[in-house]
Amino acid sequence: MEAGSEPLPLDILITNVVCVFRVRCHLDLRHIALKGANVMYKRDEGKVVMKLRRPRVTATIWSSGKIISTGATSEDEAKIGARKCARCLQKLGFQVRFGAFRVVNVLAVCSMPFEIRLPDFTKQQRPLASYEPELHPAVNFKIKPLTASMQIFSTGSITITASNVARAAQAVEHVYPLVLASRKGT
Amino acid sequence: MPSKVCQNCGCSDIDVDHARGDAVCTGCGSVLEDNIIVSEVQFQESGGSSTAIGQFVSSDGPGRGLSLGSGVFSGVGKESRAHTLQNGRRQIVQLGSQLQLNQHCLDTAFNFFKMAVNSRLTRGRKSSHVIAACLYLVCRTEGTPHMLLDFSDLLQVNVYVLGKTFLILARQLCINAPAIDPCLYIPRFAHMLEFGDKTHEVSMTALRLVARMKRDWMHTGRRPSGLCGAALLVAARMHDFRRTVKEILSVVKVCEATLRKRLVEFEDTPTSQLTIDEFMRIDLEKECDPPSFINGKRKSKLQQVCLHLPCRRHCQKYSCTALGDGAEDDDHLNVDEEHFVHSLFEHLPNGVTEPDIVGEEQDPEPAMLRRCQGPDLRVLLGPLPTSASLGLKESIVECIEDDGGKAIRASTPGEAIEKMLAKKKISSKINYEVLKGLNGKGDDTRPATPQREGGDRPEETTTALSRTRPQAPLSHKRFVFYIRVGK
Repeated sequence: MEAGSEPLPLDILITNVVCVFRVRCHLDLRHIALKGANVMYKRDEGKVVMKLRRPRVTATIWSSGKIISTGATSEDEAKIGARKCARCLQKLGFQVRFGAFRVVNVLAVCSMPFEIRLPDFTKQQRPLASYEPELHPAVNFKIKPLTASMQIFSTGSITITASNVARAAQAVEHVYPLVLASRKGT
Repeated sequence: MPSKVCQNCGCSDIDVDHARGDAVCTGCGSVLEDNIIVSEVQFQESGGSSTAIGQFVSSDGPGRGLSLGSGVFSGVGKESRAHTLQNGRRQIVQLGSQLQLNQHCLDTAFNFFKMAVNSRLTRGRKSSHVIAACLYLVCRTEGTPHMLLDFSDLLQVNVYVLGKTFLILARQLCINAPAIDPCLYIPRFAHMLEFGDKTHEVSMTALRLVARMKRDWMHTGRRPSGLCGAALLVAARMHDFRRTVKEILSVVKVCEATLRKRLVEFEDTPTSQLTIDEFMRIDLEKECDPPSFINGKRKSKLQQVCLHLPCRRHCQKYSCTALGDGAEDDDHLNVDEEHFVHSLFEHLPNGVTEPDIVGEEQDPEPAMLRRCQGPDLRVLLGPLPTSASLGLKESIVECIEDDGGKAIRASTPGEAIEKMLAKKKISSKINYEVLKGLNGKGDDTRPATPQREGGDRPEETTTALSRTRPQAPLSHKRFVFYIRVGK
């Protein structure tokens, strides 16, 4: 994915997509743990962790039928992984109905070709940006309308957390001119 | 309310009886007031003595004795709030006095706490955390040299937990805490290191160093205390104070690896090449890239070089030690440092790079870097596990050069012969006395270095190791010597 408005294409790499969905029936976790493949039963926490190989996705299953799936690298992959997980459960004998699929969180990484002056940047973006060198080397920048938050490092790499991929791209486009203003060269 | 005139008959003669609490008109006999409230002190008898009825009330606020519905609704409404604020104030004063904060700071902190309570930030959080956050906010706005680490020390709480509370508080109260300047911490640390009369001078030198570090981009994303520690160490040594790394660590509260890393980064900057006098007078124009950027570039270059090199096996071993920061190789590095620091300073005016003495066959000892350095930092820092990664790059470059058969860099013919022999590992068979005669140079250290280079490596290292075990006196001797050489 590229931010097209700048002459230099910026590559935004999606590292993680988290989604939730339901299978609309109660599940017997013990049965899944005994008969299922590639599962881990966490009895103390009341959940089963199922790891799929292709797409590389980890699904956490609760007995209520709600499932959280993490580890996918795109939204489509996340949906495929979710459906595969539901299919595995169906094969184990449960009356599964795939429903309420929703992408919850997207983590992306982007690298700027220049270094950034963090104290400068924080001063300009006062309430939105927060920089505590004693605690973390990056600036925490929140964009409220987009519900996106990002961590900006002095090397120019930015880690974005947003509710979906489109918003993550928008967040990068939003922050690019601000970061450009406090780059190391100027 | 005593009214002098009766409403019925207009008679002004009214009889007030305090015992019955009545006010009666003597003309018409109508009762004007009933149950008059009396403000008199009453007494009750208990065990022979009579005591006054009443309670002591403190002057500030309602306090505990407020009887406004306290019997029925305790802990709800205004009284609970007063309770919370009073408790908070007490804790603030207690914590603040431990840190020697003045009264103005404590009052401001209490105001912050009141605002926090109003915005319900104390709900679901330990009050001690909230109070520490309020105090730290005051410290930041006032610019006092208190670190979040101090608070976590006093409360025995994880510093990141406190940091989170502090950030939430600052955001809620819309208070922009100004960024921490490492310059703020220097006077405090300098004072703790006990420099005596010269504290001010050492502080000024350290401040210059920190300013220089800022311009060289070492301070972005780093803990300010780490930078201060490095600057103070160098400043102390510049002014002839022997502060060991351990003393600095106990004051500054960073770990040894961090301090060494900062020193290495500073070494990379061109400023480290200046002598002490030059540093105080001149300010270099060029600004450096941040160290993480340089490291990233170096790693990518290293990978490229490693791919092209014929002797891959050795490179991989070297790169393991280099990129892993070589902490376990400290002893070996220290040993070699002790030897070669001495020889380095003989060649200083020429600014010559000495070759890596260790050949490729001897893997346990990693390649040492010899490059031209100002006397200051090498001297001041003593044995350092430094520049393993930098040394690595140059050693690989030299490996390539060796394979290409390029000329050895040396200033004198004697040196060139030495280096060539060292590289070809036939030094044990050569009589160096004859060599000396050939050169016509009467250098004192010349026979010493060949003996170290040649001969049996393991023996040398064991003896050297045993010699350098009590490191402190040796390093002090050398260190003093080099300061004179430098100046």
